[in-house]
Amino acid sequence: MKETIEKIRKEIEDLEKSAERLKELSQDIPAIKRNTEAILTFIYIMKFITPVSPTFGVAIEKG
Amino acid sequence: MEYWNPYIETLPKEELEKIELSYFRNILSYAKTHSMMYREKLKGIEAKDITSFEDIRRIPLTDKEELRRYQEMEPYPYGGILGVDIKDVTTFRQSSGTTGKPVYVPESYESWQWRIETWCHILYMTGFRPRHRVFLPFGYNVYVAFWEAHYAAEKVGCELVPGGALDTKGRIYKIIETRANAMMNTPTYGLHIAEEARNMGIDPKSLGIERMLCAGEPMPEATRKRLEELYHCHVFDHIGGTEPCAWGSMCEAKQGLHIIEPFFLVEVLDRETLQKEVDDGQMGVAVVTPLGRRSFPLIRFNTQDVVMKGKGGCSCGRTWKKIKEVVGRADDLRKIRGVLFSPKTVEELIREEFQEIVEYEMMVERKGIMDEVNIRIEIDPSAESKGKEIEKRLKEKLKIRTNLSFQTKIEPLGTLPRYTLKAKRFKDRREL
Repeated sequence: MKETIEKIRKEIEDLEKSAERLKELSQDIPAIKRNTEAILTFIYIMKFITPVSPTFGVAIEKG
Repeated sequence: MEYWNPYIETLPKEELEKIELSYFRNILSYAKTHSMMYREKLKGIEAKDITSFEDIRRIPLTDKEELRRYQEMEPYPYGGILGVDIKDVTTFRQSSGTTGKPVYVPESYESWQWRIETWCHILYMTGFRPRHRVFLPFGYNVYVAFWEAHYAAEKVGCELVPGGALDTKGRIYKIIETRANAMMNTPTYGLHIAEEARNMGIDPKSLGIERMLCAGEPMPEATRKRLEELYHCHVFDHIGGTEPCAWGSMCEAKQGLHIIEPFFLVEVLDRETLQKEVDDGQMGVAVVTPLGRRSFPLIRFNTQDVVMKGKGGCSCGRTWKKIKEVVGRADDLRKIRGVLFSPKTVEELIREEFQEIVEYEMMVERKGIMDEVNIRIEIDPSAESKGKEIEKRLKEKLKIRTNLSFQTKIEPLGTLPRYTLKAKRFKDRREL
């Protein structure tokens, strides 16, 4: 299970990078920006629920 | 066994503890930098210094009165308890205000979704699945009740039937019309729907409810079993509150409540000192830290919920810690004639041994220098001829269970109030 979770975690982090780029690009398009923020919310939750090691949990500091 | 998240639900206890400690440090650090209340409260405490659960015990508790005080500040209406920019708040919620001024709870989209995720665990572990059409017999409003349930059921894949703006009869007809097969309600309202259905000539069993999740009031095992009997369905309990979120739930094994880890760090502390963690099987007050909610960070919140700590391990396979039983609210426990009294004891007795009693209400008053405790009851019409015998038996049993002598009175059917949300069957008039 842990191996699968590590792979999942990697995909979540790739998604996060992509969503952050999308957010930057969509500053003047509220429809894209808000949908991207919703994606980032779920990324935060997915990181929270896949703590593959005690130090590899969720970065809780809000940007 | 099916799990919502098999990974975190079956992690070894030691790993869960390490994760919770790490999450605790994170939320503490976040709270210190984003919440005015914690900036003041946690002065001198650094996240890096928290390396064990013993270190956590040295951090001051947070209580409701402090939340009320800090929320008097700007920005209105959340003040110093707010953990995000106010423009990120997307929903206003508030506590019920039964113990004083309500606490206004700011939820950002993120924090709301985090709450819903915890609720998905509750629903999944109590067997709610996409095949269920869930009837919610309430109008939702500023209180958090049933909003989380609604959105979590949707996320799990159930179909929702919101049952607000109807009276009880209307709701019974709607259950029949929609063929809803699951329901969420307070235990009291579950009993009331069954009573009303029978008055309408409908056997509650024929409603087709398979699963019922209860909330809002402490539910003795006898009440849970009574509901299971009445509806011929599975009935589950959970625990939580507006401020700390819902943090524990029964699973299908129905042997106590699991703490939803690693979302919450729950400590069960000695009621007198609020310092030492009690042993398994002992009663204490639940102190809860939601570990990932940022819009309203809460560190070591004293819930005032009195619970009995359970032993870990469960036939469901979850490794999450357990609460054996929810005893009641610390503010519901009263000293009457020197005896510690919990209204839940009476609820338990009535549901267990007096099925003829359809409703009751208790009141304690001061007569001279003595406390007098009264109970008024309503009896099912089919048992009316046995009224005197029931009254006598009730008096005797109450004396045995509570060590108090009750004055009893039978009232005509329909005299006592019926409740849809939190029932208030015990009134303490001594301080008025």
